[in-house]
Amino acid sequence: MSEREPSRDELLAMAYVDGELDEAGRAELEQRLAASPELRREVSALRELELMARAAAPREPMDHEWQALARDPVQRSTLGLGWSLLVLGGLGVVAFGLWQLFRSDAPLVLRLCVAAVSLGFGLLFGAVLRGRLRTRHLDPYRKVER
Amino acid sequence: MILTTTDDVPGRTIVETFGLVRGSAVRSAHFGRDVMAKLKNLVGGELSEYTKLLAEAREQALDRMTEEARARGADAVVGVRFASSEVDTGAAEVLAYGTAVRME
Repeated sequence: MSEREPSRDELLAMAYVDGELDEAGRAELEQRLAASPELRREVSALRELELMARAAAPREPMDHEWQALARDPVQRSTLGLGWSLLVLGGLGVVAFGLWQLFRSDAPLVLRLCVAAVSLGFGLLFGAVLRGRLRTRHLDPYRKVER
Repeated sequence: MILTTTDDVPGRTIVETFGLVRGSAVRSAHFGRDVMAKLKNLVGGELSEYTKLLAEAREQALDRMTEEARARGADAVVGVRFASSEVDTGAAEVLAYGTAVRME
């Protein structure tokens, strides 16, 4: 446990999360939140803590078994191998299908359309993934279990 | 902030009502969780992936409702209710709503 005194910003963030700031104080902090990634992270971490306390569920007998299974080497390697085969096989099938299409006698227009759809899908997926990765650390709900 | 499903809080008097407040959240599980949940369908048992998904949506909806109540100057929400619907396969929508009030 740290003996460090909380900084003024940390105290303000706590008051903000607990709803203890008046209207002017909230507006001021929200303006600063827009400009400060550190403060955003601080508020998100406090929200996560509050959420964890609120959503804390009593342990169930099954929880211990799931935890033991997660540590079990057979279970871990089975899952790892399964996912690896699934992802690599899936990518291989898609790559092979595209390769066959481009080598075939299919009309050029069709090949261009398939290339455009594939590229478009890849770009959209990249944009969605980038958005998720950018906001994931500010999403306090991702750790709620039940 | 007091949140209660009853229409009043024993021992406290409602002095001001701010009307309906609500919060909704739609969340989805990622592809990996969906795959594991579908496989668990074959053998039965709890789909913990979807339990978690619903719990995430429930807490987020509650927080949004509470935030709206707080912004209106309320210190409690009475008559809290939940509703859910399916907007997409593998996604969970939860709506939390109630009446924002100020207690004596």
